[in-house]
Amino acid sequence: MTFQDMIMTLDRFWASRGCVIAQPHDTEVGAGTFYPTTFLRALGPQPWRVAGVAPSRRPADGRYGDNPYRFQYYYQYQVVLKPSPADVQEQYLASLRELGIDPLAHDLRFVEDNWESPTLGAWGLGWEVWLDGMEITQFTYFQQVGGQDCRPVSVELTYGLERLAMYLQGVEHAFDVVVTPGTTIGDLRRDFERQHCRYNFELADTELQRLLFDRFEAEALRLLDADVVHPAYEFVLRSSHAFNLLDARGVLSHTERQAYVQRVRKLAEASARGYLRLIEPAEPTGSDEPAGPAGAVA
Amino acid sequence: MPRLLFEIGTEELPSWYVGPAAAALAEGLTARLADLRLSHGTVRSFATPRRLAALVDDVAARSDRRVEVRRGPAATAAFDAAGKPTRAAAGFAASAGVRPDELEIDETPKGRYVVARREVGGEDAAALLPDTLAALVVGLPAPRKMRWGEIETPFVRPISWLTALWDDRVLPVAVAGLEAGRTTRGHRFLHPDPVELDDAGQYASALLAADVVADRDARAEAVRAAVAQAAASQGGEADAAEALIEEVVDLVERPFALLGSIDEAFLELPDEVLTTVMIHHQRFVPVRDAEGRLLPRFVAVANHRVPDEALVRGGYERVLAGRLHDARFFWQADRRKSLAQHAWSLSGIGFQKELGSMADKVTRVGVGAFAVARLLGISDAEQHTLERALPLFRADLASEMVGELPELEGTMARAYAAADGLPAEVAVALEDGVLPRGPHDALPATRVGAVLAVSDRLDKLLGFFALGKRPTGSADPFALRRDAVAVARVLSAQGWRVALEDLVTAVAVGYQGSSVAVDAGIIDDVVTFVWDRVAALLAEEGLDTPTVRAAVLGSRAVVGAARRGHLLQALAALPAFAEMLTLYKRAANLAERAPRGVEADPKLFAEAIEAELFAALPPARVGVERLLEAMHVQLPAWDLGTGPTGGIAGLDALAAEVLQLKAPLDAFLDGVMVMVEDEAVRANRLALLAAVAATPRELGALEHLSG
Repeated sequence: MTFQDMIMTLDRFWASRGCVIAQPHDTEVGAGTFYPTTFLRALGPQPWRVAGVAPSRRPADGRYGDNPYRFQYYYQYQVVLKPSPADVQEQYLASLRELGIDPLAHDLRFVEDNWESPTLGAWGLGWEVWLDGMEITQFTYFQQVGGQDCRPVSVELTYGLERLAMYLQGVEHAFDVVVTPGTTIGDLRRDFERQHCRYNFELADTELQRLLFDRFEAEALRLLDADVVHPAYEFVLRSSHAFNLLDARGVLSHTERQAYVQRVRKLAEASARGYLRLIEPAEPTGSDEPAGPAGAVA
Repeated sequence: MPRLLFEIGTEELPSWYVGPAAAALAEGLTARLADLRLSHGTVRSFATPRRLAALVDDVAARSDRRVEVRRGPAATAAFDAAGKPTRAAAGFAASAGVRPDELEIDETPKGRYVVARREVGGEDAAALLPDTLAALVVGLPAPRKMRWGEIETPFVRPISWLTALWDDRVLPVAVAGLEAGRTTRGHRFLHPDPVELDDAGQYASALLAADVVADRDARAEAVRAAVAQAAASQGGEADAAEALIEEVVDLVERPFALLGSIDEAFLELPDEVLTTVMIHHQRFVPVRDAEGRLLPRFVAVANHRVPDEALVRGGYERVLAGRLHDARFFWQADRRKSLAQHAWSLSGIGFQKELGSMADKVTRVGVGAFAVARLLGISDAEQHTLERALPLFRADLASEMVGELPELEGTMARAYAAADGLPAEVAVALEDGVLPRGPHDALPATRVGAVLAVSDRLDKLLGFFALGKRPTGSADPFALRRDAVAVARVLSAQGWRVALEDLVTAVAVGYQGSSVAVDAGIIDDVVTFVWDRVAALLAEEGLDTPTVRAAVLGSRAVVGAARRGHLLQALAALPAFAEMLTLYKRAANLAERAPRGVEADPKLFAEAIEAELFAALPPARVGVERLLEAMHVQLPAWDLGTGPTGGIAGLDALAAEVLQLKAPLDAFLDGVMVMVEDEAVRANRLALLAAVAATPRELGALEHLSG
């Protein structure tokens, strides 16, 4: 199965289960959890189901493409189901079968993992899913997001697409994964990865990133004051990415790092509160249908 | 009599929770059955990652019948002149659930009172149990619970089903949005269909048929056997720590061991790196040869027998190779710098905001460690090792490997120091200095390492205490109790006969000139804090509270207190010692009035008994010294909390020398009036008693002993 067949298979699978298939967001994020379709939609009472590829950037995780598993840019496949269905594990296993992974043929395990994002003021409990010893998915029941209790609780499934593909295609490096016959991930990303690693670790102008952080933060606060949560939240994401770059450049002392984390967290929590204030008028309708079509997603 | 089955079916529980939760469920159920006065037979517990269950034999169908007696108002207030119940009596009767004419009068030592007697009990167990079982689910203890969906009953992981059977009847337990039934579930993949139980008694066998080994002990046995066998097939031995086995047992419902291989090229990595990656990251069991060398093999335990072992083995091997590849990358990256160069990076790693960076901390620890070394009088060679180790202490915190695998702190310092060509004793001291990393971890083997370990922990305690960040109640966010336990264990195991307060004061020197004020009050508090841990560890060794107190207050050195605890426990078994204790307490009580600075003067003795007691003192003192010497020699220093390995031989004879004091003291206390008019004689007699009391007091704070 090619890489893009995997994505299309998961899209079809989750679409058939009532998910909105969201397209990638256009602001840098460290993980699918930062997507507004996850972070904001996990708040409040309205039911919500979404799935789709979430390209993610983690500057510090880059290895210039040398490590077969670690990259500063990679794809997560992100699913959020709210409220979490009682049979969510079975649904997830069914999605693996669609990908050609028969749990009977493998050693498939749900191993405890407690997830916490200090920058998002979010935490949840769940598992890493192990396929023959390899972590292929993070499975999290959100308890708090942006410092707010989640009611109802959403479940987040995050598939590591590249490593799943490596396994399915039997290749040793993510760059060798076939995207479509004749094209590998390496063809698409090798130079991109190496150059961004140089940028992240060697070239990024740290003074600029510090300045950007301050300005993005101020802008987020100003917009939150104006009750425009969606633009405000994008500036939270941008400030978070500026922090990630500073972190990758290794210019932050321990204390300074903690201070930045707290600043992003404050913004994320303020965004969560702002979002809840805005959706409050739209109390739950009692409908079981997944909420909101395209308008809110785009 | 009926059999009760209760099973909580869950999504996969954290492995560390399975065992304790199953025990808590069985205990909770037992306690609640007692509250309901339902007698019962054996309570068996079952647990897998997906279920916690209890099966109780022979539960009484009805609760115990018994007469409940309640006492009401005094008889005089309960009946009027005409013998009719008053309003008070009527009210009491109503509250006690009887008619006024059923009230009786009892004679009690305090007078005549109205009582209500009522037969209670006999309730239908099947009616009582559903609410009880639901409450058990809600109340099952766990450090951290979660909510799911729209369910507001927190549990450790979502509850998927409930099974509650009273022999063949379903008990209608309703909790967490679920209703109990007679259906359980088998192995997630091997047996996806529901498993119907006709009767509670079928539980274990039905699950076994559905590919679930629900009996945790049986599963553990199966894991141990399978792992050992897989290792033996390669002529090796499984290096399976009990903790790893326990964890693996609770990750599977139907264990199946598989053997895998590692590329031999990875064996160039230090052993600990290999085993840490295998154990902590993959839960694989390392395999060693007869000489203890790692073989390029591992054993994995899968959740079921897989049809194509090669497929799964290949997966395991690839993941492990990926991780070892990473580890080798870190090893090589770290090796581009010497350990000394890594140490320069410590200034960029924070220790605690107000206490500076790790570089600041290590500098302070160095000052403290030299002061501690002076107290101990270490050899020139050791001093030299300490001097070479200090600039490198904790430098591996700056390495990539420790950043990725924090549990390898210390181990990597040793490995990198050795790779840098530093002397072995320096490398070992660097690792020893961070030991013990946990409550069951090994202790430093070398004295230099122990100096580092103690100085490092005490530095942390002093700093955090000075910042007012000491533990309160059960909250100990900086794990300071763990540090105090480490100090206590190292001091005991090293057998340092040095006062604890002197060591703490020595380490506090590191804070001189810093902005953090470590004064005598802080030092006192840290000393007390460590003594509390010493006391707790001695109690873990089975010493009773008075003995622990007598031991801890009887010595200023941790090892002195530890040994005294066991000496006093042994002495307590001698009847003569108990008698002596009584006399000691009388003498010590009287001696409290002794004027300071006065020594007993034989010239002032008026009676022969006084002179006899005085004469008995020097041999008794020698006896005490010999006893203590035997104690120190015969109880080799040990890891506090585990207990000494031996006892004191010839205790009777040694004690006899001390107990010689008993007869003359007894005679003195019986026959000599101490508080006489003559001030000089009185003071002299009190001084004599003080000297007598002080002699056995060297063995411990005897006033705290019962006897």
